[in-house]
Amino acid sequence: MITRVALTALTLQTAMACQLPADAERLESARYRLALSTEPDAIQPGKFFAVLVTACAKDEPATIETLRVNAHMPQHRHGMNYAPRIVALSPGRYRAEGFMFHMPGSWEFVVELRADGRNERATLSRRID
Amino acid sequence: MARSTRSLLAIGFGVFLLLTSIAAQAQALLDFTDAERRAIARHGPWPVEWTGDSTNRVSNTQAAIELGRRLFFDPGLSANGQVACATCHRPDRGWADGAPVSTGLTRVDRNAQGLANIRLQRWFGWDGAHDSLWSQSLRPLLDPREMGMNVATIATHLRGESELRCRYRAAFSEAPGDDDERAVVNLSKALAAFQETIVSAPTAFDLFRDALVRGDAAAAAYPIAAQRGLRLFIGRGQCNLCHLGPSFSNGEFGDVGIPFFTRPGEVDPGRHGGIKRLQASPYSRLGRFSDASGPALARATEHVELTHRNFGEFRVPSLRELTRTAPYMHNGALPDLRAVARHYSELNEDRLHADGERILRRLDLAPAEIDDLVAFLESLTAPESPDAAPRAADTCR
Repeated sequence: MITRVALTALTLQTAMACQLPADAERLESARYRLALSTEPDAIQPGKFFAVLVTACAKDEPATIETLRVNAHMPQHRHGMNYAPRIVALSPGRYRAEGFMFHMPGSWEFVVELRADGRNERATLSRRID
Repeated sequence: MARSTRSLLAIGFGVFLLLTSIAAQAQALLDFTDAERRAIARHGPWPVEWTGDSTNRVSNTQAAIELGRRLFFDPGLSANGQVACATCHRPDRGWADGAPVSTGLTRVDRNAQGLANIRLQRWFGWDGAHDSLWSQSLRPLLDPREMGMNVATIATHLRGESELRCRYRAAFSEAPGDDDERAVVNLSKALAAFQETIVSAPTAFDLFRDALVRGDAAAAAYPIAAQRGLRLFIGRGQCNLCHLGPSFSNGEFGDVGIPFFTRPGEVDPGRHGGIKRLQASPYSRLGRFSDASGPALARATEHVELTHRNFGEFRVPSLRELTRTAPYMHNGALPDLRAVARHYSELNEDRLHADGERILRRLDLAPAEIDDLVAFLESLTAPESPDAAPRAADTCR
């Protein structure tokens, strides 16, 4: 009984601690709610920017083994000319550098994560003028 | 009515029609939509603010500009004493040479690009093998086909000329010492400082764009054919997907269906080879010769990715000062702007990489549309030739 209470408390604490930033765009994978924002907020074609991702488990928290972010233009069948690199800032929070959209149009961010041995992905569309 | 009176009336009516037509041409402004106006506004303002290259400690400094100017026109920097940077980058030809492909000591495989506004580029050369203007400036000196020097012979020339020696000391606060490589990299930085001063003036398009943004009626002075060409450029042509911003270039690379065979059995790998050379170069922004470090200064170099589709890609050139720099494309295959417009109009999509981008489509332009597109492209050249900073009237002691 004591163990069950302690585990419940831990789960609640984790759920409460994992908050998605209010000013970021939301996306979802199978087991995670995600938030994505860019720095600077306005993406300009031909200019570098960074991507910030926060991942919160929907239910039971799982250990995220890897999380990657990339982007492509589905309509044009090409990705970026640059390979971003991501670092974990804290559990569930990531920053990726090296993004550059080399033309205006519809781009799609792709977040791929692996947690407890299972892969999942989420996408977010963004139109750039 | 007498015949002479009828003739006079007919002539008068003809003149009236002509004047009306001219007035209509001079006053007309196409009904650009809000989206078109926003797209047009993004091609300015011009000139673009620029604060110097922090990886080059003598960028934007007068003494280095003066040293660079002398080096740029100095044939003593070539193995046969007859080829200078200015041989292929002539001020009277938009800082290009007008030939399909250039000839230094021998013929090379690529077209010399104009140098106007080169300071705004991210990558240098048709393949972007260099990430700074100073690194790019070193390449032709060492290329056996172009100037055919090596680090030792360049340093010997620099130390052997009293004027160069004096100006080197003024620019770098030190004499060209025994370290040949250091002296030669510094020399390339002075060459870069000079080329950074080559900037083009505002054009008829810029006046139109600024007036349109202001909501000024002066926008109507822009020729109607150029307006129609501009509408094509930002609309059906989708040219502004790659030729974007005030420089009319995204600074990147593309395969536009120009054959890249240089001779039977040999190809120009373009960007694919460029990235490989960049990553092997000791003179990149990531190397020890860069005068400043930090992630933001070398972000492109650090993150650029070599992929198969880079094969046969060449830089997206700026379209400013275009009329001065014919012929066009990386191999100078297209003699004039009409040929360029026809290339995109009749594009052979089968020539594009199967794994490449799906952006280019055959435009099937009518002859009048080709005329309009050319009229627009011609409006991107300023009335006066782009000049370097004026020569300082000093002597070095």
